[in-house]
Amino acid sequence: MDRQAPHIVLQGVQLDRPMQNEFSHDLKRTLLALVRGKYRPPGQRRVLRDVNFSAAAGERIGIVGANGSGKTTFLKVIAGILAPTAGFVKADGLVAPLIELGAGFDPELSVQDNIVLYGVLLGYPRGRMARRVDEILAFAELEPYRWAPVKTLSSGMTARLGFAIATDVDPDILLIDEVLSIGDEQFRRKCKDRLDRFWHGPTTVLVVSHDLAFIEQSCDRVLCIDRGRIAFDGAPRTAIRFYLDAVNLPLGSPP
Amino acid sequence: MLPANPEVRRYTDMLSVLTMRNVKTRYRGSALGVAWSLVNPLIMTFVYTAVFGHAFAQYYRGSSLLYMLAVFIGLVSNGFFASATSQALHSVVSSSGLINKVRTPPSVYPMAQLFSSGFQLAAGSVPLLIVITLIFTHSVVNAIALAVPMLALALLAAGVGAIVSTLYVFFRDVPYMYELVLFAMWVATPVFYPLAIVGPQYRPLIEWNPLTQIIETIRALALGTHAPTAFGMLMPLAVGVVVSLAGWAIFRRSSVRFMDYL
Repeated sequence: MDRQAPHIVLQGVQLDRPMQNEFSHDLKRTLLALVRGKYRPPGQRRVLRDVNFSAAAGERIGIVGANGSGKTTFLKVIAGILAPTAGFVKADGLVAPLIELGAGFDPELSVQDNIVLYGVLLGYPRGRMARRVDEILAFAELEPYRWAPVKTLSSGMTARLGFAIATDVDPDILLIDEVLSIGDEQFRRKCKDRLDRFWHGPTTVLVVSHDLAFIEQSCDRVLCIDRGRIAFDGAPRTAIRFYLDAVNLPLGSPP
Repeated sequence: MLPANPEVRRYTDMLSVLTMRNVKTRYRGSALGVAWSLVNPLIMTFVYTAVFGHAFAQYYRGSSLLYMLAVFIGLVSNGFFASATSQALHSVVSSSGLINKVRTPPSVYPMAQLFSSGFQLAAGSVPLLIVITLIFTHSVVNAIALAVPMLALALLAAGVGAIVSTLYVFFRDVPYMYELVLFAMWVATPVFYPLAIVGPQYRPLIEWNPLTQIIETIRALALGTHAPTAFGMLMPLAVGVVVSLAGWAIFRRSSVRFMDYL
């Protein structure tokens, strides 16, 4: 693949979402309001504004920002989960979202069935998932639990399973949203090894984290997101200083 | 193999794993499996026959057996419609966790519910219906023709399921209202009573209910008591096509806004 061609492009992306508290969620009341001519559509809140961003294959990009600033929303737009209200989004290739592991599990189904289910929901072909079951069970160290329903696994085991499935391929784009600290110390090291494989390969990695030391060490570019816009985009050290300055109380104010 | 479009392949893969999940979790690996889906209509058939068989047998050539089979056909058809659409109703909202985390085409959720209900019907009641048809009419043509009202039933359920699952995303009081609608439908469909007892002023209302015609056509084909009418064969099919096209158009148009309310 041409390493220079940007394979993630966002141009002038804006995302508005309706304000939940203004929406009635009550069909009877809404119909009544419509009949009386008193219906008002809910107001919109701008979650992302004027986002321009592009990434080349193999870039490792950290994302920092305050809670609620739009970091996860930004990842969701790249993953195609949220469509922008205005602007242009392009993300080439297989996107593996690591947004909250285990969201696709069905607690009643066996581990084996869940591997196929979750893998297919993430976008991998069914036949491939069926062939990969052994490998995934081995990585997650859950071979004895193949036929057990997922609800009988501990939460740590479930997270291991989710990680093993989501990272079982070589995605072109990997989105990581604060999921790096799962499992016990030994499994964490395995996760790190596997992520390192992506880290040094052609995969484009976008990682949201509040672990600034980790971001500074492992990323070669950092975005600082503030109230829905990219406030800074550049070298990790400068970006983190920018972020810390932005969240700190202004100089001279009482502690 | 043909070089399938990756989006189409992804859709069919998702549909098949979600359908499998629905079928498996519904029975939780019970040994009787799909046979359980027959237990409910069979028990209710006996209850209705015990209570109403004596009074209504006169409309069925004096035969309690014919009444019993007519009730069974009615219960199975109405039951499929009610369960497939109410399961579809919840399908999008109950998958909200997933829809928020992974890019999936939202229509697979109601579709998978419809397919699992269809699987249940095809594995449980349909073979029984075919056996009844062959015993009563000795006609393979009749058995094959059962596909027409069945298709109308599936299209109708697909369309209504798409509409109610869309509404539920936006309005959380829809399940209660839909329960009311289903109950009204149940009373306005001759499941356990003969159409003949309905007074002339309301009869057309019930005759134009597509479920009525679906059930009456299946009865005609399976029991051979009377010939199926062209109206009974075609009206539900036409309504089914219109409702399913309208339902999926509504679903598609609204699904871009689903994310904002899930």
